[in-house]
Amino acid sequence: MWAYVFRRLIYNIPVYLTIIFVVMALLRVNDPVYAFLGKNTTQEDIDRRREEFGLDRPFLTQYGEFLKRLAFFDFSQESWSRRGRKVSDEIAGAVIPTLSLTIPALTLTSLISIFVGMISAFFRGRNLDRGLVFFAVLGMSISFLVYIILGQYFIAYLPQKYFESHDMKETWGSVWFAIQGYEPGLQHWFHYIMLPVLISVIVAMGYDTRFYRAVMVEETGRDYIVTARSKGATQSKIMFVHMLRNALIPIVTRIMITLPFLITGSILLEMYFNIPGMGKTLITAINEKNLPIIETFTSLFAGLFILSNILTDVLYAIVDPRVRLT
Amino acid sequence: MTNNRFLRSTALLLGVLASSLIVGCNGSADQDPGTGGGTEGGGASAEEKVLHLPMRTDGPKSLDPVRGSTVYDNRASSFVYETLIQYAYFKRPSDATALEPLLLAEMPTVSEDGLTYNFKLKPGVFFHDDPCFPDSKGREMKAEDVIYSWKRMADNDNDPKSWWLMENTIAGFDKYREEQNAAEKFDYDAPVEGMKVINDYEFEITLQEPVYRFLYTLAMFQLAVVPREAVEMYGSKFDLHPVGTGPFTLKEEDWVQGKSMVFNKNPNYHECYYPTEFTPEDIEKGFDKDQGKRLPLVDQVEVTMFVEDQPMWLSFSAKDVDYTQVPAENFDDAFTKRGRRSNRTFELKSDYESEDISWASVPLLDFIFYGFNMDDSLIGGYDEKSKKLRQALCLAMDWDERNDRFYNGINIIYDGPIPPGLAGHPEGHNAPESYRGPDIPRAKKLLAEAGYPDGEGLPVIEFYTSRGGNNAEQVEMLARHMEQIGVKLDIKLVDFSTLIENVNTKKAPFFSFAWSSDYPDAENNLALFYGPYESPGANHFNYKRDDYDQMYEKIRTMPPSPERLKIVESMRSMLLEDAPYAGSMARTRFYLINPRLKNFKPSEDFYNWVKYLNVGE
Repeated sequence: MWAYVFRRLIYNIPVYLTIIFVVMALLRVNDPVYAFLGKNTTQEDIDRRREEFGLDRPFLTQYGEFLKRLAFFDFSQESWSRRGRKVSDEIAGAVIPTLSLTIPALTLTSLISIFVGMISAFFRGRNLDRGLVFFAVLGMSISFLVYIILGQYFIAYLPQKYFESHDMKETWGSVWFAIQGYEPGLQHWFHYIMLPVLISVIVAMGYDTRFYRAVMVEETGRDYIVTARSKGATQSKIMFVHMLRNALIPIVTRIMITLPFLITGSILLEMYFNIPGMGKTLITAINEKNLPIIETFTSLFAGLFILSNILTDVLYAIVDPRVRLT
Repeated sequence: MTNNRFLRSTALLLGVLASSLIVGCNGSADQDPGTGGGTEGGGASAEEKVLHLPMRTDGPKSLDPVRGSTVYDNRASSFVYETLIQYAYFKRPSDATALEPLLLAEMPTVSEDGLTYNFKLKPGVFFHDDPCFPDSKGREMKAEDVIYSWKRMADNDNDPKSWWLMENTIAGFDKYREEQNAAEKFDYDAPVEGMKVINDYEFEITLQEPVYRFLYTLAMFQLAVVPREAVEMYGSKFDLHPVGTGPFTLKEEDWVQGKSMVFNKNPNYHECYYPTEFTPEDIEKGFDKDQGKRLPLVDQVEVTMFVEDQPMWLSFSAKDVDYTQVPAENFDDAFTKRGRRSNRTFELKSDYESEDISWASVPLLDFIFYGFNMDDSLIGGYDEKSKKLRQALCLAMDWDERNDRFYNGINIIYDGPIPPGLAGHPEGHNAPESYRGPDIPRAKKLLAEAGYPDGEGLPVIEFYTSRGGNNAEQVEMLARHMEQIGVKLDIKLVDFSTLIENVNTKKAPFFSFAWSSDYPDAENNLALFYGPYESPGANHFNYKRDDYDQMYEKIRTMPPSPERLKIVESMRSMLLEDAPYAGSMARTRFYLINPRLKNFKPSEDFYNWVKYLNVGE
């Protein structure tokens, strides 16, 4: 297995280098110094900044230096737009808020979707199945933004307004879902993060439920299910023991594909709920043409995607003995 | 039976999962975020007065005054840093340009030739307590600190964003800058011809030539006073670790990037008192209640950043923040419009009035325009043909329609580049020389005289604007206006960096931009057409006329007078005739204010007014 992992890593190195090359090249198509300095500047400032940022050197030199830093996990480069803050500071400050949102969201979405998918498959063609599919399609058909705006208004704002007008803000206002904000610490998690998590779950569930339903439906027609039934196995044993285990490959694939998004965060949720996470940090950096942040973030994300792909293959072999890593 | 068991077990599992999640994460949610107590080190007790203010951005970039450039840098810096003089908070709007001493004992005296300024510092002004000082005790501010802080503007290593404020102003300063930046090490102790420290509390500045804007410059946050010890101790971290003389302090850990800043009252703030003179309107609004009290009036200020408008609006409505700017999409929720265009009035809706919410509006010193590149071979130039072409384009535009459609009709449409409220702004917003539309017959006539009857023979004109907001819709309107006279636009909806690059490199013939005045003097806006400032400088029009430049150089040195105003008006007329831009529009910002917030008289020209704010019960 390790030989396989090593080989895959080696094969992916050119892909990774190409991704970084393309990203760096694209960021330099339009002179980033112009955007960084804004409207009213002087040629002297532009030249000085270009030199300071190292943009006056040949592209391949810049590329080589970035790779060197990446190879040694050296993220000490200073943010262009926030002097005194290193790229590592930005990542360290943003990763916890993001993970506090994405890990519960992914966990809940996966668990609920698998259960709902199984129920739907089990009752295939009946009203319950139709109802669940209807809600799944509804969930995925409505824009994420609509859920955010409605959620913020109906689930956070209206109750908060009620507490405020009934002198209950002190007791309930800090417990119920906040309209926006973030505070570190588990004690604040429900107040600030639960609503974005719920919204994320509702949206993602639509896609995941339909996917898992399709997987389960395919499994229900297999011979081993008929055999298990003939042997008198209970429905729950058939579902949770036989079917779930055999459906693990697509489930694992789907979850693994989602893993890098744990780090990238949800840009819209972070923007609307004012959560200082990775997505918000990246968007701010893009708007400011803050190249050290953009380049480091995209390199990390690309690396995570590659690693999660390899990990998916390894997990295939673990969950399904028929799969051989060669 | 089996089905039911399966459903029950599934439901049970889900229930256990959900309840454990809620119980596990909600165990000690006992702190009201509304008190500002959530941030470590920034906690406030129940008795303390805490302001909750919004900031409509993801935050300032830097708190080092010389590196600051945006309004958000200005706002945040103004909590912790101070300038020698400041704008008088309660003298607006009748005297919007009134200045008063802040770190000075009195206003500077100026020699008869207008060249030498004598400054006397207010004694007893101390920097914030900080580890950069012996025993972490803030020391008294001295004249050397002012000189040091200003010299930092000249040091390229500091990446000063506003050197132009000092350029060609103080005798010998430009030379000092050039020499020190060329030297191996920037020497802050090297003398500057026009800067002379007389004693710890007195210094003298000699200008190259009389520069009237110098006084306004002294009130700009970029010239705030910083201690050398802090700059040298914190290096590049000084951006995040401000040490000033201001009414509030900020700990590094109280600034959560992209989220919030918590400022605490500076216990050593110098003697500074709430004003005692008010207009009758101010008295009616209760702004006189705190007169004579020592500033600042609150113990803590929690500033929350909002990138999106909806959470800001809802937070205001839930009384989590004390005021809000009214976003365009919420304007009709809050106000009823009456009348049309110039006679339009606004009334706060009863829902808000019943909650004792008040409102205020502030006209901004804006110059929003469509610019022409005067160096462009088609649309630029000073000959009659190109001038008539530009005039025709100006006449085809309907700025009132733009205002109505996209800005709820709340903005001010005016002629010339000088915004409302400044000397030189045309009476009633209209200048007789104006080519502001819509006047389609006249536009067509001028277009024909330019050699393009009904647009025939006129190549498609490239128009650059940035993506974002409703810019795509706004350019659709512009294209429609142009089509009325047969002019076709090639719309380049690009990202902001591409727009800037194309304007700076003079590749954009026709573009959308805006300017907000740095100080309340027409000179600031007229500088946008000064030849030597051509792109990539502030003169994006690349407008170059010797007679205009000479007039500009003249008004730069003159204090306000009828003679100066006459020159300003001549320059305005020249620009209206040459039409290097089409315009103009100034935004009006509407604010809603929760009843607990006291003494709030919003301004977007300066931001050191938080020290006057108070909170009620």
